Amino acid sequence: MLLEAHAVSKSFGDFFAVRDANLSVGEGEIVGLIGPNGAGKSTFFNCLAGDAVPTSGKIIFDGQDMTKAPPEAHARLGIGRTFQVPATFEGMSVIDNVMVGAFLRHPHQGDARDHASRIIELTGLKAQMDLAAHSLGTPGRKRLEIARVLATNPRLMLLDESLAGLTPTELQEAIRLVRKIHEMGITIVIVEHIMEVIMTLAGRVLAFNQGHVIASGRPEDVVKDEAVIEAYLGRGSHRVRRRSA
Amino acid sequence: MNKIPALSPTVLLAVALLIYPLIFSGAFYLDVGVTFLLAAISASAWNIVGGYAGQVSVGHAMFFGLGAYAPLLCYKLYGWTPMAGIPFGIAASVALAILIGIPTFRLTGHYFSMATIAVAELIRIYFGTWDLVGAAIGLQGPATARGWWDLTFRSELPYYYIFLTVLAVLLSFTYLMERHRFGYYLRAIKVGERAARSLGVPVQQTKIRALVLSAMFTSVAGSLYSVKTGFIDPESGFGILVSVQMVIIAALGGAGRLYGPLIGALILIPLQTATNTWFGGGGTGLTFIVYGGIIVLIARYEPGGIYDLWEQISPRRWRRKHAS
Ligand SMILES: Nc1ncnc2c1ncn2[C@@H]1O[C@H](COP(=O)(O)OP(=O)(O)OP(=O)(O)O)[C@@H](O)[C@H]1O
Ligand SMILES: [Mg+2]
Repeated sequence: MLLEAHAVSKSFGDFFAVRDANLSVGEGEIVGLIGPNGAGKSTFFNCLAGDAVPTSGKIIFDGQDMTKAPPEAHARLGIGRTFQVPATFEGMSVIDNVMVGAFLRHPHQGDARDHASRIIELTGLKAQMDLAAHSLGTPGRKRLEIARVLATNPRLMLLDESLAGLTPTELQEAIRLVRKIHEMGITIVIVEHIMEVIMTLAGRVLAFNQGHVIASGRPEDVVKDEAVIEAYLGRGSHRVRRRSA
Repeated sequence: MNKIPALSPTVLLAVALLIYPLIFSGAFYLDVGVTFLLAAISASAWNIVGGYAGQVSVGHAMFFGLGAYAPLLCYKLYGWTPMAGIPFGIAASVALAILIGIPTFRLTGHYFSMATIAVAELIRIYFGTWDLVGAAIGLQGPATARGWWDLTFRSELPYYYIFLTVLAVLLSFTYLMERHRFGYYLRAIKVGERAARSLGVPVQQTKIRALVLSAMFTSVAGSLYSVKTGFIDPESGFGILVSVQMVIIAALGGAGRLYGPLIGALILIPLQTATNTWFGGGGTGLTFIVYGGIIVLIARYEPGGIYDLWEQISPRRWRRKHAS
């Protein structure tokens, strides 16, 4: 297993945002995380990326205990993540944003620039290369986040609603991009509310509700699961697409 | 073709600074020039950590003061050329930078700014009671030069060119830094520390390195000041005005920009000299008012300083001129 989370819990005061969550991801998989708002998906991601230290439980990546390791150590070992609310370096240009990621494996400026240019081409940001990140709009900034993480040469990418808020055409393009990333041999865990994305991309799905993993398995089975339908409360398991937070 | 437009302001600036003393050779103008250069050096040194990394120190006088005391202390204790004290000032400043950086950079928010003010003030008060460094009276350098190595000149002209050289070295260093991984990391930390860490940027270590480099150059600025004036006391070395002046000059011109501090000094120093000349002794109080006014203007209208303001205007002017 590439990534293993054992009974991970995260509480804020008395409130458990994540409780006893288990997840194992094999090399080359695409795993989807679904669940209603506030279910604990992003909090779980933060634990996996070292952005939050779990209250209890254990996280193992490639045989190493990463439970308490800082985010920069996660990046070095090959865990990359995007943020639900894009956290691009606003005043910096698109290429400079990607270069910050590229510098992790390419300390020299020229090499980092070459690597970043390749990634920019791959992610379809070439036309906006010299624009400031803040001029991009949310979909563009989400794409830039993907590019930036990709530039760190990750083995595992954690995508937190990176495909939210796109038009249907943009969505198809983004799905193609995720596929391309997967074909590069990168393992992916993706949080998404859009069922279409989960159904087409994920080989396996975990459903969260109120901090608990309430179901897991093949996507077509999970969306039929009683508990999952219950959690989405009548919104209809096939129509849980909603605007991004 | 590509490089010329970017280079020409630099060349113009260099030429202007080189020939300034030849055109304005009077003692008064030379003094203004030297003061300007020293202010530009200090603010450019501050800019590394305060501007590029966005870690706003309001206590950089601590490094300036250590740098200023070291040469005159070496002279007082051993009769050495004051120049010999410069490395000691740098060493002390580096040690202090690490001591402050390790605990404060771990915390988020304004702890770093507050800690720097507190430490600078503590050092100022302590030096005011410490007999070895002349307590409240301070230290003096050689009254007359025993040789060129004392760097004690009657004319301001040699100082002007020494300071200009140091400024050129510092700006070249900053220019290279901007293009190096380190410079990218600083800018990333400034806008998004959390995102930077997620991309593998060693935030804590990078901030400490920035503070150390900034402290080194600030210390050199302090040494240049005391070697030139041949005098230092707690207020002129560690006073809050020394710290605040660096912040204001950098912010006025454009913090985190190569030429920001230089532009800031170009505006503030003549302004300050003018108010001091017109209002005499009352000028010091006025300095505070001018500083306060500038802070309000920057905060209200243009947080990016004059540099950003210019960038917003100039592309439009350029486009209009070159419209086909
Ligand atoms: N730092 C925090 N302090 C206190 N409570 C928090 C904190 N972060 C998250 N929470 C709470 O934890 C719960 C889970 O939040 P989380 O963001 O993980 O949900 P999510 O599944 O990602 O939801 P969404 O689909 O809206 O993104 C929410 O109730 C949230 O209010
Ligand atoms: Mg979320």
